[in-house]
Amino acid sequence: MSNNNDVLVVGAGLAGLTAVWQLAAQQKKVRLVSKGWGATHWHSGCIDVLGYYPIDEGQPVESPGVTLAKLIADQPEHPYALVGVAGVETALTAFQTLCAEAGYPLHGSLDKNWLLPSAVGTFRPTCLAPETMIAGDLRRDDPMLIVGIKQLVDFYPNIVAENLVKQGVEAAHLMLDLPKLAQRNFNTPISIGSIMAQADFRKDLVQQIKPKLGKAKRVGLPAILGRQPSLAIKEDLEKQLGVPVFEIPGLPPSLPGMRLHAILLQAIERAGGRVYHGLEGVGIENEGGRVTAVLTEAASRPKAHRFERYVVATGGILGGGIVTNHHGEARELVFDLPVTLPESRLDWFEQDFMDPKGHPVYRAGLTVNAQFQPVNGGSQPVYENVYAAGITLSHSEVIRERSFEGVALSTGFAVGNLLAQ
Amino acid sequence: MRNVWEADTTLELEAAKPVELTLDHCIKCNICVTVCPVSAVTDLFPGPKYEAPQAGRFRQNKQPTPDYSVDYCSGCRACNLACPTGVKIAEINARARNDIVEEDKQSGRNKLRNNLVARPELLGKFGQPVAPLANFLLHGGIGRFFADKLLGIAPKAPLPVFSREKFSGWLKKRSAPANATRKIVYFRGCSTEYFEPRVGKAAVQVLEANGFEVLVPEQNCCGLPLLSNGEFDAARGYHESNIKKLIDYVKQGYVIVGTSTSCTLTLKEEAPELLDYFTEDARLLAANTFDLNEFLTMLLDAGELKTDGLRPIPLRLAYHQPCQFKAHRIGRPSVEIMDLIPELEIVESEATCCGVAGTYGYKSEKYQVAMDVGRPLFEFIHEVNGPVNVCDSETCRWQITAATGQASVHPIELLSAAYGYPPEGELAKVLLPLS
Repeated sequence: MSNNNDVLVVGAGLAGLTAVWQLAAQQKKVRLVSKGWGATHWHSGCIDVLGYYPIDEGQPVESPGVTLAKLIADQPEHPYALVGVAGVETALTAFQTLCAEAGYPLHGSLDKNWLLPSAVGTFRPTCLAPETMIAGDLRRDDPMLIVGIKQLVDFYPNIVAENLVKQGVEAAHLMLDLPKLAQRNFNTPISIGSIMAQADFRKDLVQQIKPKLGKAKRVGLPAILGRQPSLAIKEDLEKQLGVPVFEIPGLPPSLPGMRLHAILLQAIERAGGRVYHGLEGVGIENEGGRVTAVLTEAASRPKAHRFERYVVATGGILGGGIVTNHHGEARELVFDLPVTLPESRLDWFEQDFMDPKGHPVYRAGLTVNAQFQPVNGGSQPVYENVYAAGITLSHSEVIRERSFEGVALSTGFAVGNLLAQ
Repeated sequence: MRNVWEADTTLELEAAKPVELTLDHCIKCNICVTVCPVSAVTDLFPGPKYEAPQAGRFRQNKQPTPDYSVDYCSGCRACNLACPTGVKIAEINARARNDIVEEDKQSGRNKLRNNLVARPELLGKFGQPVAPLANFLLHGGIGRFFADKLLGIAPKAPLPVFSREKFSGWLKKRSAPANATRKIVYFRGCSTEYFEPRVGKAAVQVLEANGFEVLVPEQNCCGLPLLSNGEFDAARGYHESNIKKLIDYVKQGYVIVGTSTSCTLTLKEEAPELLDYFTEDARLLAANTFDLNEFLTMLLDAGELKTDGLRPIPLRLAYHQPCQFKAHRIGRPSVEIMDLIPELEIVESEATCCGVAGTYGYKSEKYQVAMDVGRPLFEFIHEVNGPVNVCDSETCRWQITAATGQASVHPIELLSAAYGYPPEGELAKVLLPLS
């Protein structure tokens, strides 16, 4: 283990997986450790790059490429400023190539955001969307039928359709009762996703939808078109129905997110990288300004991972990489790196809960220098061999900006390539 | 600095983390549901989130059990590893099963059956001396018919075959190597003693080749089968006895290594955690117990592992890491060790679980669930199609062999063969024609 271990990445969200993918693809000896699976199983399976900017104007971004340049000019500390528009584009293109090669293409570019329906029937701006979702494009005016399944309790087609109609989209809704699903008491996207692989189940589904199509020219379903990154289920449904089909991502577990996770894991393993989940980073050993080991929790004693360099990609407060307490202390959990956040807890929040400017605590995270090394004021790194990527970085509001996957993917990609040099 | 083969007797002993309280960490994200191999194939188990953090709220303070479906948790711990917030799902379920047993809510047949399959040491002591008869009863059609009808042991359950020779018998006939420079304690486990002595022999040979005198003190079953069948009181007795028999060796500075990944996990964590057994001796024993391949990687890192003159093994073999080994949370040490063997190509399984989960797959009502859980692994084994496959845990090996018809060996058997020791059993049939 001590012989030539290049990089250890902590965290298995999109940022960590992307960094390891890039490093492994460039023949580095890499390992990823994570507490468990995470953001990839929760997100929509789309790559949001920039959905709203300025956030408080509430208008969806038309061209993320153009607006990204403006954001970078306005906010030189934003993670996107470290990567640059060209860097974001390189990362997106590489990821699109990877997914296309896996038989699961992501469509779109920085030129124009998609507008796709959300699970409550709002307009969802996103940059890259899988082929299983793009027929939901809300700029098209062909009428849609939103179909739910009674046995899947987390998706309500009437809410989706009624809200879309209010916004001028022609949409009808249909709730199906599928006896074959009633054989199971507990249906989740996981169980339905696997039963969707059965041809006779799809036939039943189509037979129930087809007579109710009405004037609909496309059909929206919850995100249940299979667990595998494949278009086979979608294409079969379209062939039988005679109209395009699209998925609407909803509550976790998210099959579209898991498909991207599977594609990345496969790419990493094929290139000889290692991903170990269930290994929670709990501390480090350091010597003379360098980290010499990351310790992970294990049965009866911590395990030490000794590498040349380390990447922290454990997420922010929501993802669990940073914890705060009611004394107003904030701490990065593995390396104990300094967190950028207003000193007094009183200043973490605005007066109004729904303040359109958001709360300062949303921007909490690690501040890094141009080489993605966490710093403690100034540009001198805290440790010379520690780097950070993803949502753990400060100065962005990924959820309100709708930049979550874009920040994770592009910074993970940039750090991976920086360390592969 | 302390050498890696010297026990650490100066530990700062950490306090135990409470199992049940971790259910408050659940954020209902459902990631556990995406990895649970049991709820994926049957409705009898509603899934990890439902069983542990949700139903768990109704199980506190020794209230009556609200729901018996928790007995269908196989304890594989895939959920624990995937949980992003650290809920100890499998442990919560194991304790809930113990409550069911204590409430005495099992049928008489299942109770007798569970009491039996949870005691491999007892079965070994009675069965091994009359191995041919015991094997006839255990594997003959008539025996299995009655085992199913009277005890609820599935007719095709992958039960082990008693060995003609005990591991300890083989060991007695040998003398300690003259050139040993260091000592180590081997926890053999019941399966090596009564069913597969070849694994223990390989372990002893590898350790001796690295300059160790291997001590095998008197020892008991680790108690894991009892823990996973909800018999906590009996498990406590075994663990207590093992501590008594082993702790002096640790205090003398020797570490304990084992080839059964579930025994070593039990000594390290399962017994102390499930039984709330955190005496100083229990913690010292836990902290100085290692899976053998884990220990060999530590020797390797310290530059102390014999890696020169390894004989090539020109085979392409499937390797499945058992759930109980993944649960050590130390990565895949066996692969690091097998990677040292020239010309050996290891194809790693990404399947979650073989299904058997110790004694789970033996039970008539759970046999089909176990086979359905293992299907992706069996397909993978067929796909790789080697002459044998590799797996660290005995019950998984038996399950894989029963389901695929392909023999399964422990990784240490390969290293021992690469060191030049004569292989035994199925591995001998494969390797001898190659040499």
